[in-house]
Amino acid sequence: MDTAVATRTDNLRATLWRPLAGFSRAYLAALVLTFLLGAWGLACWGYQIFRGIGVAGIRRPTMWGFYLVNFVFWIGISHAGTLISAILRLTDAGWRKPVTRIAEAITVFALMIGAMFPIIHLGRPLVFFWLIPYPNSRLLWPNFRSPLLWDLTAIVTYLSGSIIYLYLPLIPDLAELAQHATGWRERLYRLLSIGWTGSDRQWHALERAMHRMAGMILAVAVSVHTVVAWDFAMAVAPLWHSTIFGPYFVAGAIFSGIAALLLVMSVIRRLLHLETYVLPVHFDNLGKLLFLMSLLWFYFTVAENLTTWYGNSPAEMNVFGSRVRGPFAPYFWVMIFCNFVLPFLLLSSRRMRSIRNVTIAAVTVLIGMWLERYLIILPTLSYPHLASATGFYKPTWVEISITASTFAAMAMFYLIFCKLFPAIAVWEYKNDSHR
Amino acid sequence: MAIDLDRCTGCEACVAACHAENNLPLSDPAEAEKGRAFHWIRVDRYYEGEFPDIRMKYMPVLCQQCEDAPCEPVCPTYATYHNTEGLNVQVYNRCIGTRYCGNNCPYSVRFFNWFEPEWPQPLELQHNPDVSIRPSGVMEKCTFCIQRIQRVKRDAKADGRPVVDGEVQPACVQSCPAEAMTFGDLNDPESKISRLAASGRATRLLEDLGTKPKVFYLQRAK
Amino acid sequence: MILTADFVNSQSVASAIQALKARGYGAGEIDIFSTAPVEPAEVLLERPSRMSLVAVVSAVVFCLSAVAFVYYTQHDYRIITGGMPIFSWWSTGVIFYEFTMFGSISATFIMFLIESGLFKRRCSIPTPRLEEGRIYLRVVCDAGDSVSSVECLYEAGAAKVDEMEEQA
Repeated sequence: MDTAVATRTDNLRATLWRPLAGFSRAYLAALVLTFLLGAWGLACWGYQIFRGIGVAGIRRPTMWGFYLVNFVFWIGISHAGTLISAILRLTDAGWRKPVTRIAEAITVFALMIGAMFPIIHLGRPLVFFWLIPYPNSRLLWPNFRSPLLWDLTAIVTYLSGSIIYLYLPLIPDLAELAQHATGWRERLYRLLSIGWTGSDRQWHALERAMHRMAGMILAVAVSVHTVVAWDFAMAVAPLWHSTIFGPYFVAGAIFSGIAALLLVMSVIRRLLHLETYVLPVHFDNLGKLLFLMSLLWFYFTVAENLTTWYGNSPAEMNVFGSRVRGPFAPYFWVMIFCNFVLPFLLLSSRRMRSIRNVTIAAVTVLIGMWLERYLIILPTLSYPHLASATGFYKPTWVEISITASTFAAMAMFYLIFCKLFPAIAVWEYKNDSHR
Repeated sequence: MAIDLDRCTGCEACVAACHAENNLPLSDPAEAEKGRAFHWIRVDRYYEGEFPDIRMKYMPVLCQQCEDAPCEPVCPTYATYHNTEGLNVQVYNRCIGTRYCGNNCPYSVRFFNWFEPEWPQPLELQHNPDVSIRPSGVMEKCTFCIQRIQRVKRDAKADGRPVVDGEVQPACVQSCPAEAMTFGDLNDPESKISRLAASGRATRLLEDLGTKPKVFYLQRAK
Repeated sequence: MILTADFVNSQSVASAIQALKARGYGAGEIDIFSTAPVEPAEVLLERPSRMSLVAVVSAVVFCLSAVAFVYYTQHDYRIITGGMPIFSWWSTGVIFYEFTMFGSISATFIMFLIESGLFKRRCSIPTPRLEEGRIYLRVVCDAGDSVSSVECLYEAGAAKVDEMEEQA
């Protein structure tokens, strides 16, 4: 039994640690490419700060455009990690093991990217720190009544919570890596593992902390996207002033989060050769969850649109018509197809839920959810209460570049993460041998 | 403020006067086509009926200085707030350009400086020294010519007398050839504006949104 | 005297702990080291924790400080926006909620660092280097008792027991 356990854990380590060693050419090429794209995005942002935000396509009345769409989109993606990881931990679902760290990493990186967008979209981004309450010569505090301040506190809380939530289960793995590493890696791991010795006192504290963090991060995650939704719902703009926005956005966030998780899992499974750990059953289970969220999303969408149509209020019907029959109709129906029809076809039966189908569904859901954010923001702004101010938004190369570069940045963060840390929590697998 | 829609001819003298008084940036045609022109007061045209029995209605729309302004609570830096006189003021220094107020204004009367403002030469020599030039990234809107209000109050205080009704005239009110616009103190029940507001011809724009606007549109009751 | 014994499975660790407890050693002197959590150790060795209490207290403290701070700032420079009251629970409730959660999250993390002893860097008692598949038990025993304790550990199923003098 001794040798069987040792062999099994050696295999575990060999597979899960193999990606950390060495730099293959493909890896370096991917890293350089994503870095360049990310740097291009930063350069575009620098140009925007220099010239003025007018280089973006936003205008009166559509004063919010791609940047806010991306903001909501990335914050939505960030709900992948904590919600899946936290819910699965709280329900003690055994199949969560290969999924949790991937999900938690997605959360942290998506949140970092999403939190940049409120700064990118500012007219005077260099004074963004005026949002932070500190005694100043202007004799002013920020306006806590503003949903944007709620955003700030929620995102800061969520970001710190997610980083802690990612870091805690990483500590035992870091300690083990430190034992087997050399050179700068050993120093790095030893520093990060803050003296972890594996004593039962430490395991006790870790498990207690993880359990509490799971519950708390769940509570924070729900509030974060509700607050982001209230950026829109608190406005008197037609079709924004809806009470359903809070739950709608949270459901949408979980939906897009699961899709992002599935996509990343699929890619990582292939690239890091984790086929023995990330199994078809995981894709099956997450595919079922994705299907469930698709139904929930559809329910909310129907509820929202039906009440609007039935209520027949002129300002709202104007916007509604533009989404369903007017200029935004192509995007609207593509969104319905991507978010509901295709997932329904691909995910409803067990036979259809292969890894490939589930990944395809995940990608279409991501496209559909981006479109959904676009369709929440733009039609309402394009058709304000007073019709003389009607106007349409056309994104410029600056906005498109910055949008694309955030995807590259996400990929780059993930590449670096997978090179430094094992993508799957090694110690959670060893758990079986000691019980 | 009261605007008599039965007198308004749609000549847009108020628009030009506002431009001159408040140092409004001139947009070039490309930017204007993108919807970035500045008109703190604009004249909306509404058509009723079919040719040849078309009736036109001209409605000058400016910042309504709402009592319960939806633009105020959403500004994260208190750049727009309600001052003690009841004006919805915009403080350019404090604005960081989130544009939430612009989205939340149901009258779409807020304008944003997308770039540093520029005037074709020699128009920059014509600037009003009482009004600041707004930098790039800052929101602006009609202020009821607060510089004129301040000047009149200062002069009245220097003379040791109260402000006379009709003494304060924003640029648009002053320039209207049809004398369709009236400006005054709503707190004073004897002022002309109070009487007009209480008349049967007074309506307000988008009143059902609960913004409590202070611009009264006078029109024949149908 | 510090005894470090290594075991290959959790049952033998459990019987070793029970034997040591029978000899009068408590959770304060016994430590288990492993590369994954060991369930019998969790059950047999009591580690009282104040994590929940501290988290709740911290949450309440942060919440009250947030309320006080917002109340103070909104009255410090009274600015009316949109006809809303100067201070209202509804318009700033989210801020209070987020601060509360932030308080409990940071308290949980700090209590984790404290309770796991990670803060106490200077370790006079050496810890064994962890190896796969092995569970280490370390007990601090009196010098006189060490021989019989060592026997007791071998009886429980230890593969190897090391003895070490305690450093002052």
